[in-house]
Amino acid sequence: MELILNILGAIATIVLAFTVGMSYGGIVRKITARVHNRMGPPWYQNFIDAFKLAGKTTAINHGIMQHFGPAFIMVSSIVSLMIVPVLNGGGWFENLNFGGDLIFLLYIMVFGPLGMALGAGQTGNPNSAIGITRGLSQMVGFEIPWVMALVALMVQFDTTSIVDIMRIQNESGTWMMFSSPFAFIAAVMAMLGMFRYSPFDIVGAPTELASGPVSENGGKYLLTMMSSGSIFAFVKLTLYVDLFMGGADNLIILVLKTFALYMIPVLYGIVSPRYRTEQSIRFFWGWPTFFGLLAILYAVFV
Amino acid sequence: MEMIYLILVLFLGGAVLTWLLGKISPIIRDILFISSVIIPTVLFFMNVEVGHDVSFQVLGYKLSWGISYLAYLFSYIVLGLGSLASVYAVAAMKGKKNLGFFYSNFILSIMSMMGILLSRDLISFFIFWEIMTWSSYLMVVFRGKDVQKVGIKYFVFSAIGAYAMLMAIVIVNSLTNSLLISDLVSSFGSFSLSMKWLIPLLLLIGFAVKSAMMPLHVWAPGAYSNSPMAFTSMFSGALSKMGVYGMIIVMVSLVSYIPNGFWLKETIAWLGGITAVGGTLWAVAQDDAKKLLAYSSVAQLGYIIVGIGIGTPLAMLSALFMAVMHAIFKGNLFLVVGAIERQTGTSNLTEVSGLIRKMPWTFISALFSIIALAGIPPLGGFVGKWMLYESLIGSNHYLLVIVVFFSSTAAFLYSYKFLFGFFLGQEEKEWSHIKEAPAMMVVPMMILAVATFVLGTFPGLVLNPIDNGLQELGFASTQGRYWEMSALFNEWGNQVMLQPLVYAIIAVFLFFAAFLTIKGFKHTRYVTTKDISSSGEVPKEHENLTFSQNFFQPFLRAVEPFMKRRIDTYYSGIGNGLEAIFDFTRRIYTGNGQTYALYAVIFIVVLLMFKNALFGL
Repeated sequence: MELILNILGAIATIVLAFTVGMSYGGIVRKITARVHNRMGPPWYQNFIDAFKLAGKTTAINHGIMQHFGPAFIMVSSIVSLMIVPVLNGGGWFENLNFGGDLIFLLYIMVFGPLGMALGAGQTGNPNSAIGITRGLSQMVGFEIPWVMALVALMVQFDTTSIVDIMRIQNESGTWMMFSSPFAFIAAVMAMLGMFRYSPFDIVGAPTELASGPVSENGGKYLLTMMSSGSIFAFVKLTLYVDLFMGGADNLIILVLKTFALYMIPVLYGIVSPRYRTEQSIRFFWGWPTFFGLLAILYAVFV
Repeated sequence: MEMIYLILVLFLGGAVLTWLLGKISPIIRDILFISSVIIPTVLFFMNVEVGHDVSFQVLGYKLSWGISYLAYLFSYIVLGLGSLASVYAVAAMKGKKNLGFFYSNFILSIMSMMGILLSRDLISFFIFWEIMTWSSYLMVVFRGKDVQKVGIKYFVFSAIGAYAMLMAIVIVNSLTNSLLISDLVSSFGSFSLSMKWLIPLLLLIGFAVKSAMMPLHVWAPGAYSNSPMAFTSMFSGALSKMGVYGMIIVMVSLVSYIPNGFWLKETIAWLGGITAVGGTLWAVAQDDAKKLLAYSSVAQLGYIIVGIGIGTPLAMLSALFMAVMHAIFKGNLFLVVGAIERQTGTSNLTEVSGLIRKMPWTFISALFSIIALAGIPPLGGFVGKWMLYESLIGSNHYLLVIVVFFSSTAAFLYSYKFLFGFFLGQEEKEWSHIKEAPAMMVVPMMILAVATFVLGTFPGLVLNPIDNGLQELGFASTQGRYWEMSALFNEWGNQVMLQPLVYAIIAVFLFFAAFLTIKGFKHTRYVTTKDISSSGEVPKEHENLTFSQNFFQPFLRAVEPFMKRRIDTYYSGIGNGLEAIFDFTRRIYTGNGQTYALYAVIFIVVLLMFKNALFGL
């Protein structure tokens, strides 16, 4: 009985993440369009796209790894969603919060890019592979300040568990973005790369690489990748809220906080040109890493 | 007959017989080879128990052989990987010349490693260590390629290590008048301070050479890639672990008792971290899969050395677990390269591409090993990485953890390069005739791949013998404190429950794989990799769409400043300098009688000039 309840809870979490993530995607398209002085699609355009993709039949395939690639990505998104606490105190959405800690999360989050890389690799499209190499290189870039911020948090509170970090914030009444500001700055700078909006969008580079890794995928494959991307965006935003903004007590607060946070990479991206890969790597190893170091020093000495 | 003697004699006799009788017929040779690896292995695991030892007198010195818990753990690596690699070797080396020599060296190196693990005195340890170096040296030059460059480099560094170790042994003998390792450990506390520093340092130089620690690593990339792949699997998987084995004993039993020995541990840990970063960056830059894996081995051993250097119980657990995992996945990856090299004739990542449909089993075992190498859950590599990070954070090594993390993230790059280069990408006509490797090669690879998976879910299977070994070294039991059969804990009590996570991963994967494939195969047709949309155009058959040159160029541009300095150039500089000195010395002997007469005159003049100072007259 408990197992069934757990599975139901997990499904509820996935549906929530899917809905919120897809809506955010649509809203971002709208906002971008308005900034560009266009009308833009309606905010529910992503749902329409999803239904359309689900209805399509696929005619050709390039082999088994192309099928498994999107499944790998889904594993990464859903398992990290199971690990990240959605609300303070768990409730319906407790899932596997007890099962993994931050370091597990860091590693399961890169399972997705690897699956994407394998799936895209088998199609033989050189644009996909070029996109993948850029994506992986850029990942090495932004992981450094991101990990520094996480290490600073772990050191400061002697725990690697996300639930514990949320609990500490609620007990002390201050959000981590105020009590360890440098970690927050480093993490937000890393977040710019994580969401791959401009100036860090050379991975997909729509005009140059024909969207890179996802080219050659249509129908159900693209649907899986798209929904995985939406869920993953929700996971990352919720994680930031959990770690730096004290978590959320109910879904409305969660949506408000994540949306506010999401606007940072989006609004920064809309007005930015594009970096080359090595430029973006060097960007992440510059100021963000400096703030990461400050964060660690702050955590150790203050 | 005493079982330990019998096992070593069987190995030795097997080596000789394989060489001699192998000249009669290849079949006898192959059977003799496999049986002289497998039979002693079975005998060892059935009959030799931990704690049992034998001793005998040679020239008035007491020598002793036996097995400890720690050595038993390493014997899993040596004998397990050895058996699988030997089965593989028979199929992989079929039709090559001079095979009797190869096989007997192979057996000798397994024997020498077992000898090292069984030795309880320094002199037999040293003798087996030298047999190991010699047999692996002969393997490095087996193919007769780059003997000058690679072979001599390996030999010189091994010699430096061996002399350092021999010096330490002689000093220990003069101080304690005994060669037993247990006597060294028990009387170490009474040595003078300088001896307390000198002996561990000399021993560590010997072990660091074999485990390819910066700055003594320069021999490794060449030596690993130059020997036949069936042996490199052992070379990188098991042989390098002998250095780790020795290092653990020195660090725990000796260095811990040096006053301020803490600094030595820190230095070793940092050297390990630098090794990891350097190895990883150079691995990303390689185009030859063998070189790539060789540099990656250097990097992976760096992590292990970091764990040993930190020396907390959790760090030791992680180091030993990573040692076992590295033997499994890196052993397997070298076997994969061997299989590809045998089928296609090259191991260059820029030449081969698109083998996934031709060699599916090889691909699966490579995929498992790569995921384990990258440390991604749910495979075994993750467990070691997790423990390493937790121990680094728990023991206040905040910068080192960033260094290690950087190196292990950058490892994704070469991992993907390896998989993409060989198996994915465009399927070219040149390789359309390639078939899967024979079953005798595929089965050992698959066994190793399954092992990575099992250990990812139930790491307790290996952590249990590790725990026994650590208790023997004087640590408190870690079971329940840091790990259960399939759960991991850190020093603050945070946990990773592996079973629910693995089951969740499998469930989600199966669901979506079914969702994507259930109609996928019936209703879709397979098209070639040329049938793609390339910016809206369909490429022609003759167009070259292979992407393999300059694979990670943007990344390498970004890290260019780090890679400008190579320790190798300094060594070459020293080598050239020495050569110049030798050349100058040679010029003294001109072969001209008049010059020699001049030397004699100069000598006498000098004597006369300084006679007061010299003779006090």
